[in-house]
Amino acid sequence: MLTPDERERYDRQILIEEIGLEGQEKLKRSRVAIAGVGGLGSPAAYYLTAAGIGRIRLIDRDRVSLSNLNRQILHWEEDIGKKKVDSAITKLRNLNRMVEVEPIDEEITEGNIHQLMDGVEAIVDAMDNLPTRFILNRCAIEKRIPFFHGAVRSFEGRAMTILPGKSACLRCLYRGPIPEEKFPVIGVAPAIIGSILATEVVKYLLGIGQLLTNRLLMYDGLEAIFTEFTVHRNPECDHCGGIIL
Amino acid sequence: MSIKVHIHSTHRRYTDGQEVVTVEGKTVGECLNHLIQQFPGMEKALFAKKDKLHNVIEVYLNQATAHPNELSKPVKDGDVIHLIIMLAGG
Repeated sequence: MLTPDERERYDRQILIEEIGLEGQEKLKRSRVAIAGVGGLGSPAAYYLTAAGIGRIRLIDRDRVSLSNLNRQILHWEEDIGKKKVDSAITKLRNLNRMVEVEPIDEEITEGNIHQLMDGVEAIVDAMDNLPTRFILNRCAIEKRIPFFHGAVRSFEGRAMTILPGKSACLRCLYRGPIPEEKFPVIGVAPAIIGSILATEVVKYLLGIGQLLTNRLLMYDGLEAIFTEFTVHRNPECDHCGGIIL
Repeated sequence: MSIKVHIHSTHRRYTDGQEVVTVEGKTVGECLNHLIQQFPGMEKALFAKKDKLHNVIEVYLNQATAHPNELSKPVKDGDVIHLIIMLAGG
């Protein structure tokens, strides 16, 4: 049940036919993990908090630095040197105290991933490197937790939603390791992709709309173009290839 | 046979700024070879070694992934190839 304050807070989205009071209550009962509280994680966390997801688990081991501030909008000048999860939780609590935000200041590893994702219904991939993304992907497949992938570079970004065993996973697209780089990026790229990730999570939790499953959505900010590519499960995929639902 | 190859923005320095290049070939691999004949700088941009694309290169044929075995995928007149860079940043 929503409190009177919550009814007022979410009034405009309760007015959306596909959400309504029932949908809003469903969001309140939902638990979502966001892996990475940087460029992608910032807008995703802001909008999921604003939308009234009941519990949000934030996972990031980094501290805020000056070079983060062009894109990681959860973190401000006063936060430089602080743990990102501490910086984030301050803003998110001030935005919406009705949401329970759980900060976890840990590095995501193969050893702790299953524990970190315990009890969540959706995992947002807001990481900044491919190896950790694949740790998340494998865990999501093994635990059958929907996985929301986003990535950016420069003015570009991409997003894809993975329903384990039903749609192509991130690993289905794997061609081998890629060189790590200090990737160039302007904040508007993760702003758009992070917002798409939050949209996908809300749609999934409410069972509405068309998810980005088997669809890789590419955004090119310079050309101002969205392009959609069809992807499919790879039967040889070493993460999801053996899964039959 | 006329196939259009969409060039990623980071590679357009090798194609004189062209966003779309028309090529010929019966497979994706033949099309990329024809692209390289026209713009030799694309070879290093696309290939790690002979018949092996860089892992960061994604090939889409008619808006659908051509992975795996991209280079051997058959193409026909009017097909469209997109060459994309895999993204990992956040």
